[in-house]
Amino acid sequence: MLGQDLVGVSSIHSTPVYQILLTRKYLTSKIMPLLAAIAVVLCTAMVLITWSVMGGFLKNLVKSGRTMIGDVAIVWPNVGFAHYEDLIEMLEADPMIEAACPMIESYGLAHLPGDRTELVVIKGVDGPSFDRVTGYAETLYWKPLTAPHPKDKQQRDWRNRSHGLWEQKYRDGLGLKEYDANTDRQVGAAVLGIEVSGYNIRELWGGYTPGVVVVPQTDGTTRDVQVLMFDETITLNLLALDGSGRTVDTKTRKIPVANEFQSGLYDIDKQTVIVNLDVVQDMLNMDQAERIDPDGVDDPFRVVIDPLTGLESLGAGPAMLIDPARVTTVLVRGVDSEGDPRLLAERCREIYAKFAAKHARVPPAENIRISTWEDQNRTLISAVKKETGLVLFIFSFISLTAVILVLAIFWSMVSEKTKDVGVLRSIGASRSGVAMIWISYGLAIGLMGSLLGGALAYAIVLNINPIHDWMGEALGLTIWDPRVYYFVEIPNEVESDKAVIVMLGGVLSSVVGAMIPAIRAACLSPVRALRFE
Amino acid sequence: MPLLEVQNLQKTYRLGRVSVPVLRGASLSVEEGEFVAVLGASGSGKSTLLHLIGGLDRPDRAESVIRFQGESIYGMSAGGLDRYRARTVGFVFQFYHLLPELNVLQNVMIASMVRHGFAFSARRTGVRARATGLLEAFGLGSRLRHRPAELSGGERQRVAIARALMNEPRLLLADEPTGNLDRKTGDAILDALGRIRAESRQTVIMVTHDAHVAARADRVVKLEDGCVVAEHSRPLV
Ligand SMILES: Nc1ncnc2c1ncn2[C@@H]1O[C@H](COP(=O)(O)OP(=O)(O)O)[C@@H](O)[C@H]1O
Ligand SMILES: [Mg+2]
Repeated sequence: MLGQDLVGVSSIHSTPVYQILLTRKYLTSKIMPLLAAIAVVLCTAMVLITWSVMGGFLKNLVKSGRTMIGDVAIVWPNVGFAHYEDLIEMLEADPMIEAACPMIESYGLAHLPGDRTELVVIKGVDGPSFDRVTGYAETLYWKPLTAPHPKDKQQRDWRNRSHGLWEQKYRDGLGLKEYDANTDRQVGAAVLGIEVSGYNIRELWGGYTPGVVVVPQTDGTTRDVQVLMFDETITLNLLALDGSGRTVDTKTRKIPVANEFQSGLYDIDKQTVIVNLDVVQDMLNMDQAERIDPDGVDDPFRVVIDPLTGLESLGAGPAMLIDPARVTTVLVRGVDSEGDPRLLAERCREIYAKFAAKHARVPPAENIRISTWEDQNRTLISAVKKETGLVLFIFSFISLTAVILVLAIFWSMVSEKTKDVGVLRSIGASRSGVAMIWISYGLAIGLMGSLLGGALAYAIVLNINPIHDWMGEALGLTIWDPRVYYFVEIPNEVESDKAVIVMLGGVLSSVVGAMIPAIRAACLSPVRALRFE
Repeated sequence: MPLLEVQNLQKTYRLGRVSVPVLRGASLSVEEGEFVAVLGASGSGKSTLLHLIGGLDRPDRAESVIRFQGESIYGMSAGGLDRYRARTVGFVFQFYHLLPELNVLQNVMIASMVRHGFAFSARRTGVRARATGLLEAFGLGSRLRHRPAELSGGERQRVAIARALMNEPRLLLADEPTGNLDRKTGDAILDALGRIRAESRQTVIMVTHDAHVAARADRVVKLEDGCVVAEHSRPLV
């Protein structure tokens, strides 16, 4: 009672308008507004949690889509273009550009252990420069872990042990080379997407363990063999084209697997094989070579440059041609990773134009394909956008629930307070003044509910992974199964602009919900309200 | 010119297809400083009359006239009527009609808060002093922080009167102010009203079904069949 008295005295001293006084009194003396506020808290929290997790999920998806492709790609598919080292040098001299690297993109057939054959996307790259542009090293799967995988509580992850081995695998994977004992040389190697072979088993804790195949033995029995892809060899079939795009022949080569990578995007991890650039260039006849000019005629006075000594001499015999090494793609990474990739693409086009002016036999600047990571992920991004739209659509329904809850609760409160409305009108309150009581009441509940809801959502999203783990342990509930969702951890970031939007939405919903009861109160006939029993 | 002039007041309630004519041309004139009692049976339309005079309800027809200081109150805009209720009249009801969430002091001060709106904060101190003074005059000085639910009927009615007087109305309208009280408590309320009359020559219109209560007024009129039928005056006290 004492506390109430203090509140009574202070409120009359600090509130200029009777609506606020009444709002405060109704708030502190009734259970109904508490229910309304709780409804707003829950709705706000629910919407914000869903949006944050969903948004984080979609962001991760786009981020994964960005790995392996850099910011801008300069592409002349299949045939490729020469003098790319010069282009890369020109690109890297530009202040907007952080790094650039060569790549050959092609399709091939990969023959895997256990007689599996898969159609794969081949990316021929030079490991270190590819890493500088795309952060490729991050995606290498077999590497020593500094800390155990967050969900791997029982430390079942192979990568927690034998660090020396993983260190070696990591280096091999990054360099795309492996030591070959037969020839005592480093040979070009491949790195497979973690899902390409199908032999890796995705565990509940989010990582992979090499799987087992049943191998029939000659004596009729079978044996279980664990397939360690990173120790295997694959056979790659590629279709070689010559400089003018004509099919030359099919090349087959055995290539050791140095490591596997996980980009975070299933399609990429399922279909992509990264191969040492030298190997791919060699297989596709895109390396530098002296070849017979198919269009040339025998010309006894032709000047021939010896590729080894650089000396010029008068040649005879068939017309020869130095075919410089080619790649299909140059990937570019901008200095500002958050910047607009279209500006960077523009820049690349200008640089390419200069490059094309310098070299006679490269594709003309008007024809070269220059695309941003956004262009390349268009389907993914549009899917993401569609999904965001769907989520927002669902949210509007959730918000509608909040509006209706507030409306219902306020409606019954107006009924309960009909007599007060009559009394206030009898002492001179206007219709709009009476309506304002309910609107400011709705505003107060909206503000309180939204702030608390925002705080609740923030606390939950921040700790969503521990909470989820606890639910898994205590209740046996696993909603976010890493085997299904591909991201090991639930996104746990609340963006402040989303929080502001959702909280404003909560306030607005409450005010809108209060509006109709407020109008009803305003329309009450004061006489009827006074006679109301 | 009389302070209040009521002419040919008509009011019919409609319940579905049935019309209930309550006032059928009531006329009444009240001078400044007068204490008029309207005596009528229950259901004769006393409350209806008072609500119309106080600007809470509207009469049926254009012929019905209520003039306050010569100005027709139903010619006023909605805002004008709100101001009329806030400044010019003060209502006292049979069932007190206090706001249950507010304490006694707040119940009185709210009349001033409604009247002044945002300008209230500047007047807070003065308003508070006036409200406290009124409540003390009604013997409620020690009950300022109490909720209406903690008061007796007589105490509640005194709070209601203090609220009605808060904005110094020209016209006090009392609707059976003792109707819900026992004789002794009712008499105390009437004594209080009488004191106010004596101190400030407050104009009062009180409706009641109780001739004993009506006898406290300077003048008693009767409401019968929707008309003010008989008047008899006695000299001012
Ligand atoms: N809103 C209403 N609808 C229908 N009839 C009403 C309404 N208000 C009052 N009445 C009727 O009008 C008559 C007069 O009511 P009222 O003015 O309260 O009388 P009194 O105050 O003299 O008892 C009563 O018969 C009552 O039933
Ligand atoms: Mg009555």
